[in-house]
Amino acid sequence: MKARMLATHVALPVLVIAASAQAQAADFDWMKFKGKTITFLANNNPVSQALLTYKADFEKLTGMTLKVDGYQEQQMRQRLVTVMNANSDEVDVFMTLPSREGEQFAAAGWYGDLTAMVKNEVAKEYDPSGLSQALLKSATFGGKLTSMPMNIEGPIFYYRTDIFKKCGLEAPKTIKDVEAAAEKIKTCDSTVTPFVSRGLKPAVAYTFSNMLHNIGGTYIANGKSNLCSAKGKEALDTYSRLLRDFGPPGVVNYSFQQISALYRSGRAAMAFESSNELRTVMDGGARLKDTGLLPFPAGEAGQVPTTIGWGLAVSSHSKQPEAAWYFVQWATSPEVQKKMALQGIAPPRPSVAKDPEYRKWIDEEPVRKEWQAALDVLATKGSSEVGYPIVANPESREFIGQAVQDLILKQKPVDQACADADKALDALIAQK
Amino acid sequence: MSDTAATFTQDRQKLEMAALSAPAVLFTVAMIAFPVVYTIWLGFQTFTSTGKQSFAGLANYSKLISDVEFWHGLWITIALFVLSLALQLVFGVWLALVLFHAKRLPGIVRSLFISPFMMPPVVAGMMWLVILDPSLGAANYILQSLGLPPSDWLASPTWVIPTVALIDSWQWTPYVALIVLGGLQSLPPSVYEAAQIDGASPFKTFQRITLPLLLPTIVTAAILRSVDLLRFFDIIYITTQGGPGNASNTLNIYGFRVGFEFFNIGYASALMLTLTAIVFGAVLAFNRLRGAVAW
Repeated sequence: MKARMLATHVALPVLVIAASAQAQAADFDWMKFKGKTITFLANNNPVSQALLTYKADFEKLTGMTLKVDGYQEQQMRQRLVTVMNANSDEVDVFMTLPSREGEQFAAAGWYGDLTAMVKNEVAKEYDPSGLSQALLKSATFGGKLTSMPMNIEGPIFYYRTDIFKKCGLEAPKTIKDVEAAAEKIKTCDSTVTPFVSRGLKPAVAYTFSNMLHNIGGTYIANGKSNLCSAKGKEALDTYSRLLRDFGPPGVVNYSFQQISALYRSGRAAMAFESSNELRTVMDGGARLKDTGLLPFPAGEAGQVPTTIGWGLAVSSHSKQPEAAWYFVQWATSPEVQKKMALQGIAPPRPSVAKDPEYRKWIDEEPVRKEWQAALDVLATKGSSEVGYPIVANPESREFIGQAVQDLILKQKPVDQACADADKALDALIAQK
Repeated sequence: MSDTAATFTQDRQKLEMAALSAPAVLFTVAMIAFPVVYTIWLGFQTFTSTGKQSFAGLANYSKLISDVEFWHGLWITIALFVLSLALQLVFGVWLALVLFHAKRLPGIVRSLFISPFMMPPVVAGMMWLVILDPSLGAANYILQSLGLPPSDWLASPTWVIPTVALIDSWQWTPYVALIVLGGLQSLPPSVYEAAQIDGASPFKTFQRITLPLLLPTIVTAAILRSVDLLRFFDIIYITTQGGPGNASNTLNIYGFRVGFEFFNIGYASALMLTLTAIVFGAVLAFNRLRGAVAW
């Protein structure tokens, strides 16, 4: 069974890509679908914003019209659910987070199968095998490739080098070092918040998963929720204690906006937040020279960073999947991803990360170098498991967040918080 | 023209009018009826996380009775409704009286007083989110400048509902004031002249004349605000998303999450239909009250 899963989940994407490399169509014509209109349901985030800067290039290259339907993340999903439940062909291409909704959307049959298109309909310069294998793997469900990666991202550790120096601290190497540094900063510089990370219920899983995996915990063991294991409890206790004892007041409402604002304003010494927030955090230049970046420090299981990426999927209800694929292909091509990288969108292609122009941009600032070094670790060691690897993944994140909030707000002891979460999560795991 | 001919012409005119207005009437009925009927139908369906659908009979409604989150959401909805409505009616009447008596108040000041409800709730939510941020917000800065302890505001399970009620009241009290102001301006001056001749104090005049005469207007404002308050969604969604924990998880927020985050559209429909029934119940109750206080 395990061998079959391995073949499906690991070998298949590699085989698909390898085969596709040989099958690149010599007669590939970008103008094949000239005159058609593609509707793209976009999450209005930095990734799509960077991509859509080049919308006119796509239209010029293909002769197609790109109609963009852009929303904030939650509203985009709301719209997608409505469209897909109605079996509507209104949307041709949509943005998706395979780590969050991949299992669910795949089981619902909402993703078009890209496996054959990657083999048969690719431009010479596309190089699908150059895309992150880890991200392709995380977008493959039941042997079907469901989306192409647009970026690579994950939570990383931002820390203030000036405050660390003032307090006689070294860059933390372990989670215990983070706790010790927070304790020391609390007395050394009372004007700053020692540590901040996500406390908002649905957002917690993104950062907590990294902590859990570094400590050596797992979400599921023997088909049951595993938060009440020794490692699970340790992760819950450590994460919530860091936020309760060293975090800002009101941290239970903190997601990326609040964390970035707090850190950028110079009022946090350590922040555990998305690599995507680099541009926001550095906005204004105040943090450019006093910030160090690392993957989240190791636990007993070493460093197992969370690595995810937005993907572009073709709707299974699209009446023009081939034309839609042309847009997906253009948007995830080396040329476009290089342009996006120069706008601070971490490329899911190692070749782009090594590109001289991109390296020049990276080398302009030491903090960018550290950012790229952290991303390299994410790319090689990362796990895309954010929350439970089940169909009801989004709902599972609620219960993880609830357990963490119960501990931050001291509403339950750890044994009760994890037991309540495990009970609810076991019911979710049992759902088909 | 004979009677028969006149009747025939009238009937024909009626028929023509009915025929001409039929498309608009049908369209309006369809636009209102279709979503309601569709939601009722969805309430009898069950959807798995993968969108697979099957007939569930009354299962969604029986699940609702044993769902702790539903009862919690109902309690939060009612608490928020009572607190916000009380604040808005009390301060709305007060603001209306101020605007009514301060006749020389410049137009720009009057406009400023009533401007908050013109702001989109999403913008109001974002603005208050920033003001009430426990670390960076202006609210705690002001409290601390006055020597008062800071508050966690929206991040405190205890204070989140009063804080949300305050935000909503900040936005909608001027709306209530505007309705009450209209009522004040229509009150007969002769009653006040009689009270003045009888030597009634301003407080007695307010208590015995203004308030009883204003009651139908206040109840009308209460009806309008009740419908909105029971459907309250946007500011909570922007500021807390139902948190911390589930301390501000109203029925509306809960229904939204069940439907659009967990994809259980059937159960979400059952939740929303129950909320709709509650809204209808509240409106009927206030309508009866309005009948009782009419003069």
